[in-house]
Amino acid sequence: MKEADPIGVPRRLFGNVGLPPTRRDILKSSAFALLPFATALPNHPSPNQQPMTANGSTDPYPIPWLDKFGSHNQAAGLNNEPGHIYHFKGRVVRCNSFTGMGTDNKGNRIAFGAPSTDYGVMQGEYWAARTSQQGTFVHI
Amino acid sequence: MFQGPVVPANEIHDFHPPIAPSGLFWVVPVSEGALTFSGDGSSFTLEMRNVTVIDQPRFPALDSIGTPARMSFRLVGKSTGEPVKYEDASKHFRFTGTRASCQLEAQVEVPSIGFSWKSDPLSTSKSDFAIMGEEVNGRYYDS
Repeated sequence: MKEADPIGVPRRLFGNVGLPPTRRDILKSSAFALLPFATALPNHPSPNQQPMTANGSTDPYPIPWLDKFGSHNQAAGLNNEPGHIYHFKGRVVRCNSFTGMGTDNKGNRIAFGAPSTDYGVMQGEYWAARTSQQGTFVHI
Repeated sequence: MFQGPVVPANEIHDFHPPIAPSGLFWVVPVSEGALTFSGDGSSFTLEMRNVTVIDQPRFPALDSIGTPARMSFRLVGKSTGEPVKYEDASKHFRFTGTRASCQLEAQVEVPSIGFSWKSDPLSTSKSDFAIMGEEVNGRYYDS
């Protein structure tokens, strides 16, 4: 390829045979020298990177309904949904209103438990990342 | 944990996992072998060590601070045999199981404030409400 310089003398795109390089030639060659870096960085993963799917996380979905505090937490109790994972089938345990006593590292006797002190166990199949998953989880 | 009568103003510690970015509420995975059921499924034991939790005594206040903590616990439960069924078609869930009794022993540590606490033995605790069984919800509800 050739192009004309301002005074009409044909020049090669990447240099002018027999002539000293102009400022334009230096700028052009610098820009082209950077091209391999510009194309390699964003488009080509490094050898250590694995190809990724885009199916979402395999973490369980929360129950969609909100409690009075704006959380996805279902209170334990009669006729309430016992689990915390949506799109789930499997074993569930739910227990609450724990009470008991304990001792801290200074010897103070401190009670634990309240009506809201609850545990939940979920073991089975759940749906996430567009397919079925297996897992065991505890709500503390 | 409460210093004095069990009312919110007296709560001095409250241990739970953080809410997940998805909104999943205070739920953590259980490692393999930590949960065991009896052969007939009528009783279970869940034992976990050094679970990463936060101490957030002012929860549910939105500005309540959570201090990193660790918790170990043993939760045991046993079915009473009394059948229970909860179902809400509008919310797509069905639970079929029994009532149960559960007991808990635990210990916690909050290293940054030099606090630790250990409960009395398992047999001294109790829960007022417990159920165990099978649940289906969401996309599994109609299948």
